[in-house]
Amino acid sequence: MAEHTVEAQLPGVFYRRPSPEAEPFVAEGDTVTADDTVGLIELMKSYHEIKAGVAGTVKSFLVDNEGDVDPGQGLVVIESN
Amino acid sequence: MFEVMNAGLETAIQDYPGRVGYWNQGFPPSGPMDHWSFRLANVLVGNEPGDAALECQFTGPELRFHEDTVVAVTGGDMQPHIDGEPIELWRSYAVKAGQTLKLSYAKTGARGYIAVAGAIRTEPWLGSRATFHKAGVGGFEGRAIQAGQQIPTGDASGGTPDMVVIPEARPELPSDKRWEIEVVAGPNDDWLDEAGVRTFLEADWKLSAKSDRTGYRLEGPGDRLTFADKAINKRPEHGSEPSNIIDQGYPNGAINLAGLTPIILVKDGPSMGGFINPFTVPTSGFWKLGQVRPGEVIRFRAISVDEAQRLAREMTRICSRESLRPA
Repeated sequence: MAEHTVEAQLPGVFYRRPSPEAEPFVAEGDTVTADDTVGLIELMKSYHEIKAGVAGTVKSFLVDNEGDVDPGQGLVVIESN
Repeated sequence: MFEVMNAGLETAIQDYPGRVGYWNQGFPPSGPMDHWSFRLANVLVGNEPGDAALECQFTGPELRFHEDTVVAVTGGDMQPHIDGEPIELWRSYAVKAGQTLKLSYAKTGARGYIAVAGAIRTEPWLGSRATFHKAGVGGFEGRAIQAGQQIPTGDASGGTPDMVVIPEARPELPSDKRWEIEVVAGPNDDWLDEAGVRTFLEADWKLSAKSDRTGYRLEGPGDRLTFADKAINKRPEHGSEPSNIIDQGYPNGAINLAGLTPIILVKDGPSMGGFINPFTVPTSGFWKLGQVRPGEVIRFRAISVDEAQRLAREMTRICSRESLRPA
């Protein structure tokens, strides 16, 4: 078990949901695969998917929904399998 | 020729000053957002300052060269590497056929520029190779470059490797996420009242993520802007809202007041519409729009047209071989 922090590679606005009415992509305690989407970053009028990068369990979010993010900033902590 | 291995995020061919002369038919100039860094990239490799080169946005591409040439990367720091070895920005490098240049995400700024000796030689359209995505013209097949494409380049034999841009000639990006950007008054500054102009110039405006090469949306105290009598008591053809005006031409760089939201009309922006433009970002301040990121704060500084033109001439002088020395 190791902690993996998913980092933003783009500046913009972080979203935890695909649309305002939808359920979040993932919540704390959910299990994810490396290819699962954990959020979106909005930049240049487009939404860019953020992948978990590792298989494991979502431990915590480091940014609020609709929070501003910068490249290199931690978004989600995942405890890898 | 070089091959696109990985395109990055909307990486496109641009030239400077772009597709000039067709504004009256609705075609914007396009061209690089940060024309300062763009021109210096070209100058570094021995090209003319305005030759066609690549604009990279937030995340750069990976390219493989099919012949010996010279490359340079300028602008925001996208951590360029040649065959896995980090290289410096603001410096030209000889590359051999088969070598790759790889950029990553922008650690500083928003846009990086890649120039190749001999310049990109795609087919010009209406006198320019600049890409205008919205209309699908210019560049390579009218849009951002895609993995697998082979991009034609000119004769590289005049390339100038191992040159650097002197530090004084490089644009300086703020380290505190705050930008001071020059504006000139008009064309419709007289539609705001005195307090409205003050609010406009003294406010912090945050760049929205809903911004691209068409327009830069600003978040701030738009609802506190106040208007002159002519904006309120006007003929009905001007429209009902204070910021409505009978359709007029828009300057490139206009700060368009769409309702109460300022939107800076940038390189691929519209040529006309029915909102007022109280202020305009002149050429000399425009390069900053190429490097400001969403979430960063802009404060405007009003300068005269004479001062704006003086600064633009100064910038053109800087974007020349005068600013180079051997590495």
